[in-house]
Amino acid sequence: MAQSGFDRRRINGPEESFPPFFEADNSPKSQSIRTTRSPKEIRPIFLQPGLILQANGSAYVETERAKIACAVYGPRQSKNTAYSEKGRLNVEVKFTPFSCERRRAPLRDAEDRSIAVAVQQTLLSSVRLELFPKSTIDVFVVVIEADGIEACIASASVAASTALANAGIEMFGLVVSCAACIIEDDVWLDPTQDEASQAQGVLVFSCMPALGKVTSIWESGQMKPSEALACIDVCEERCSEIHSVVAQALLSATQHQ
Amino acid sequence: MASTSISKAERSYIQAGLLASPARRTDGRTVTDFRSISLETGVAPLANGSARLSIGQNPHNGSGGTEVVAAAKLEVETVEEEDGTGDGRIVCSVSCSPSAYPNLSTGALDDLQHDLTTVLHQTLSDRSLHPSNLVILPGKKSWLLNLDILVLADSGNIYDALFMAARAALWDTKVPRTRSVEYKAKRNEPIAKNTSGGSGDMDVDQDTTSGFDTRKIISNAIDFELPDYWDEGEVLDGRDRWPVCVTLNLVPPVHYLDALPLEEASTPVRLLLVFSFPSSAPPTLQAMRMLGAGEVNVAELKSLVTEGEKYAKEMMTAITFKLKEEDVRRNQKAREKFAKR
Repeated sequence: MAQSGFDRRRINGPEESFPPFFEADNSPKSQSIRTTRSPKEIRPIFLQPGLILQANGSAYVETERAKIACAVYGPRQSKNTAYSEKGRLNVEVKFTPFSCERRRAPLRDAEDRSIAVAVQQTLLSSVRLELFPKSTIDVFVVVIEADGIEACIASASVAASTALANAGIEMFGLVVSCAACIIEDDVWLDPTQDEASQAQGVLVFSCMPALGKVTSIWESGQMKPSEALACIDVCEERCSEIHSVVAQALLSATQHQ
Repeated sequence: MASTSISKAERSYIQAGLLASPARRTDGRTVTDFRSISLETGVAPLANGSARLSIGQNPHNGSGGTEVVAAAKLEVETVEEEDGTGDGRIVCSVSCSPSAYPNLSTGALDDLQHDLTTVLHQTLSDRSLHPSNLVILPGKKSWLLNLDILVLADSGNIYDALFMAARAALWDTKVPRTRSVEYKAKRNEPIAKNTSGGSGDMDVDQDTTSGFDTRKIISNAIDFELPDYWDEGEVLDGRDRWPVCVTLNLVPPVHYLDALPLEEASTPVRLLLVFSFPSSAPPTLQAMRMLGAGEVNVAELKSLVTEGEKYAKEMMTAITFKLKEEDVRRNQKAREKFAKR
């Protein structure tokens, strides 16, 4: 009875189950051709702060397929840790079971933590943690629909930064992220999951455009160093555009309150 | 890694030393000096490939320093339809011995292990580094390479040590040679005969048909055997592609290599660059991570990537030289010693 898949809190389905297999999906994947946008364009972002009322700050971000909600609680007292002079930023990411093509287990798994670490890295330099000794700022990210890891990290960090601003936590600047990939020696921005799996390498670039400082850079896959530098350049330009979107969203949210 | 507690005065002392010109470090090294690295392959005889690497270990009594043991073990895996790739898999995992991190709780140690594993696994299991000789029976059976790395002591610069040890273990890995086998019913006897000791009708597929007969290319092989039990096998393909990692610790505008634990605590921002130098292609960047709270601007970042490539190239030359020396020591010299005795 004590098998690894048995979850006492839920009604378990059969032990082994497979998703339906469609004939049409079996056809070989064609080369990625973007029909709705050019390779250097990012998908339009919908960003709404203040949707979760019981949290100190919240934000919901939606790009074409990725839907991410973020809530910020804090600064609140950290009960369990020893005295720390600077505040702690605790990021937790959760994928809903229906967020990916194959059902994800409701329990926390390894991928959640690696995305949480990446998002924490993007936010760490922007929050003024020295103003909150002995306190913790909790950032909870829920991925309602995922479209590849890179788009996830990028959108989650934008949502988290907006939520932190919405919560009124003092920051040096807003953090925005942009994902890029190398397909056939060319830089393509904001890859979807299919494009990212076909790419040789992907890169997620996070910065604070207001200060012109890079907070995190995450690269995976194979890229020539020159291609990586080219990705960074293109991402930096796009980041300043995304920054204006975020600033605009925050401004209209405060005006409507 | 965050377990070294440091006072403000000490932190400022170390930072001031690094920002001075010429830069001064606590042990007298320059900013690009590494501590002495010692590498030995073949430390785990039961593993298909293994290596032990230590950075900055005292040569007289083996104390101190960052010490890491890596071992690669091969398992046979039946290819499932879902997993897709029928040509082998590489899975990396890092475990940290609690004696290496006495100040961390179990939960924090688990988290650290997980983070180290993620960086290593995401980098080494990438398709561009995938070796070609992990197939046994195409579409049916393949090798699963488990690369396990154990951190025995951490005295700074753990990422460089992990990647170097991984490279050494993978260089040392030998894949057993297999031969595919086909079961055929004997022509003169009824097919439904089952002898007690299993089927005695095992034919190696090359026997009945001529080797020049290319009409029947499709192999009906459903099983494999090891032609020589004692043969360690052929080396794992793609030896020159395995990457090395350079950790650039940043104190803008200065960067330095091979940090001690106190230095790591004083300058928390690091840039990990993992480069691969294949023999017949230009160098490629396999992974890049920025760790720690701090700010770098884009121009600095670009120059760091360029500098990092040079450091990685030197590191790669040194480690390849040492690995070849190790190969000679274990094979040729060992045979000579044995012959002399």
